[in-house]
Amino acid sequence: MLINPAKKKPSGLNIIIVGCGKVGHTLTERLVREGHDITVVDTSERVIRDTTEIFDVMGIRGNGASLSVLEEAGLQKADLIIAVTGSDELNLLCCTVAKKAGGNLAAIARVRNPDYSKELTYLRQQLGLSMIINPELEAAREIARLLSSPQALTISAFARGHAELVRFRIPAGNRLCGLRIADLNTVFRFDFLVCAVGREGNVRIPDGSFLLAEGDEIMIVASTRDVHRIFESIDMRSQAVRSCMIIGGGKSSYYLAKLLLEQRMEVKIIESNRERCEELSTLLPEAVVICGDGGDEELLKEEGIGTAEAFVPLTGLDEENILLTLYAKRVPGLKTITKINRITFNDVIEGLELGSVVYPKHITAESIIAYVRARQNSIGSNVETLYHLFDNRVEAVEFHVQKDAPVVGVPLAELGRRKRDDMLIACINRGGKIIFPRGQDAIAADDSVIIVTTQTGLSDISDILKPR
Amino acid sequence: MNMKSISYILGWILRIEGVFMALPAATAWVYGEREGWTYVAVLALCLVLGQLLTHKKPHNPSFYAKEGFVTTALGWIVMSLFGCLPFLITGEIPSFVDALFETVSGFTTTGASILSDVEALSHCSLIWRSFTHWIGGMGVLVFLLAVLPMVGGSNMHLMKAESPGPSVGKLVPKVRFTAQILYQLYIVLTVLEFILLLLGRMSVFEALCTAFGTAGTGGFGVRNDSIASYSPYIQWVVTIFMILFGVNFNVYFFIYIRKLRDAARCEEMRWYLGIIAAATVLICANAYDTALTLEHNVRNSAFQVASIITTTGFATVNFDLWPELSRTILVMLMFCGACAGSTGGGLKVSRFVIAAKSLGNYISTFLHPRAVRKVKFEDKDVEPETLRAILVYFIAVVFIFAVSVLLVSLDNFDQITNFTAVAATFNNIGPGLNAVGPTCNFAGFSAFAKCVMIFDMLAGRLEIFPLLMLLYPPLWRESISEARRRKARAAR
Repeated sequence: MLINPAKKKPSGLNIIIVGCGKVGHTLTERLVREGHDITVVDTSERVIRDTTEIFDVMGIRGNGASLSVLEEAGLQKADLIIAVTGSDELNLLCCTVAKKAGGNLAAIARVRNPDYSKELTYLRQQLGLSMIINPELEAAREIARLLSSPQALTISAFARGHAELVRFRIPAGNRLCGLRIADLNTVFRFDFLVCAVGREGNVRIPDGSFLLAEGDEIMIVASTRDVHRIFESIDMRSQAVRSCMIIGGGKSSYYLAKLLLEQRMEVKIIESNRERCEELSTLLPEAVVICGDGGDEELLKEEGIGTAEAFVPLTGLDEENILLTLYAKRVPGLKTITKINRITFNDVIEGLELGSVVYPKHITAESIIAYVRARQNSIGSNVETLYHLFDNRVEAVEFHVQKDAPVVGVPLAELGRRKRDDMLIACINRGGKIIFPRGQDAIAADDSVIIVTTQTGLSDISDILKPR
Repeated sequence: MNMKSISYILGWILRIEGVFMALPAATAWVYGEREGWTYVAVLALCLVLGQLLTHKKPHNPSFYAKEGFVTTALGWIVMSLFGCLPFLITGEIPSFVDALFETVSGFTTTGASILSDVEALSHCSLIWRSFTHWIGGMGVLVFLLAVLPMVGGSNMHLMKAESPGPSVGKLVPKVRFTAQILYQLYIVLTVLEFILLLLGRMSVFEALCTAFGTAGTGGFGVRNDSIASYSPYIQWVVTIFMILFGVNFNVYFFIYIRKLRDAARCEEMRWYLGIIAAATVLICANAYDTALTLEHNVRNSAFQVASIITTTGFATVNFDLWPELSRTILVMLMFCGACAGSTGGGLKVSRFVIAAKSLGNYISTFLHPRAVRKVKFEDKDVEPETLRAILVYFIAVVFIFAVSVLLVSLDNFDQITNFTAVAATFNNIGPGLNAVGPTCNFAGFSAFAKCVMIFDMLAGRLEIFPLLMLLYPPLWRESISEARRRKARAAR
């Protein structure tokens, strides 16, 4: 119960969220924070009551695919409907009904069943949806990215995959220790930029005089094809992982195994349900599917955890995933990635030093928020991609710049003086070419620009300028 | 418990009350009354104290149901304490308990008075009395939510604690806009009535006071005979607006967004209008002898029925002289009350309808022991949770009512007086029967009985639980030990 500081924002959108499970809850929380008018629809009275107690939203009990329920939820005035119930079919039906009945309304559905995963584009176009989200697939993609650069704690892709924001911890005795940020480009052959530094629980956007030290968590932006060589040049082993052990055989395991097998990696899946094992072995003939309890230490040893290169627990239980990671951490040189679905004790999870942690619900929420911000503000620029990093304290936003934006044509040196101190222009993507901001360059129309900031709620590129 | 957040909101309540006192101060200026300076002084006091309390924003944002309840209860008490200061200082109501009774009666939209000669009051005090009705009708916290941008869903707890009715919903997703819409509707209806009263040749001052009294369903008049000496046109206008202000405001919202069919479908409103029609017809027939003409008869009956069921408490006739059946009907209407989500008090039509339906359901289980039947209201299933809350509410009402009658009976009035005095204050109506009838007042009670009724009025307006929460020892025991532990930890 605090008074909101006088922060002027464009008025919020009217959004209907159908289904209030993990993803629905996270979305509600984030979108309310961004100032939108949210109506939540769920079949359970208890869920509706809990949600309306915590958040400033309206709750409607009922089936979100029913027209009368949607009308009660304000379909006529809604700008966006997001269907994230447990059932893919219901989500699609819900969006279809809403699209037919509502006026100028955008629809986003969650579809995660692998049966549909090849037809997502077809479904999206035919049903007129703005977006189809698949948290399991997104999580699998992120895990696969992390496995290709195992030193990184998180990797966020920008500019349609041409650029990456890579976060890692500087190990003891590394070449980076004691270097000034301004000197990095003379010491190393590759272009990259340090965007944010986390030290002793504080996060800041460093300037050129900042001295790097051992144990700092730094985030760099670089062209995707340089990332490996950058790691090599700073003496961090950068061999992509060649073999991976996955615990649990759910949807995200399937997606991950499929992605890894495409990269010709050795994949071993341990799943306790016999029938599921058989399904998986039909779907993924190249993978080794083991039927057994992933929580059994002996089994893990027998299946060679001591010699594996990567270990990814993807069971449905967050606690089990965490415990398995803690166990696997004892094996030297083993890359672990932990998926956390539900639990929220961020500080505790951070304190456990699990290494890379993937939150499917956050990945989904970020892509939807990026879409919402873009829709809310389509005058000078569009939000293309959005990530929250360092426990939500840093926001990285990619804008697609249109020709009438106020930053077009301004030399970056001048822009540097006019922009706010807590904003950093990380890089510019011009048709797939990644340009790092140096004095003479200027942002051109049709570029996409990546901004890293400790502010939240950036929705327009002109927000990076100091208020006059 | 988060005392800092609570005192912060209390500070805002004081500031708003200070701003509201500008109206009586301005009135005094218009009429050149010296009493106006008192209002200016209290206004300044409220603003300064409020400023001190709201100087620092609380850091700890945790605000849960218990904080919402305690803030609401304390807020109303603080508001009443400061609101009664002008009456005390000007000497128009010399006794503290009397002044507090009058102010609480104003804010809770009761309209029970301890004054025998209302017309002796200064204009500024008269308008303040009526204005308290208007403030209390929709609620000061709802006003606060409308004007202050607060973040967090927790502010719904404040709205729930202050708004009457078994289940409080929102009109639009954000609490702030819901509160704004409610106040907009409230202001529009008030202004409409004000204009219609002016058209009936009422003076601006009296029209303003009467509009405030009707809008909040309060009932303080500016004349000793309430509304009786006004023209039939004015009495009809007041009757209609009393009924309008007793309707669930959701209906007006539906009309406002052009969903007329949804507005007409409101089940509670239909029952409410049905009860009014039935009661009016019955009283018309029963009290036929007391009226001069048919129009007079219908007007008197409709006015009194509307006045009592909406818990306003205006009167155009001494209904204490009516036959027994009519008097009994009025007493029953006292308990029935207006719609939930209106400015009216009482137990609310929706509670009675749901209770009656679940009673029917219960009886049918003897006929078909294994039958599964759900109680429906407004075309929706009533959740067991809501049903339980309604039953518990009835139990709480019965207990508090019984204890109050017992305590008030110490004053040795007759039973009808005691019973209707408690009924009239607890349900926020105003006049009762016999010694507290429409031509009499509450001055005859002892200070103790008045204190009991002050509690009843607040409990009735805030729907009991915020006030009971305030008197619930474990709450304070826990908060004190919590504060002690926090202090100890800080010291370490």
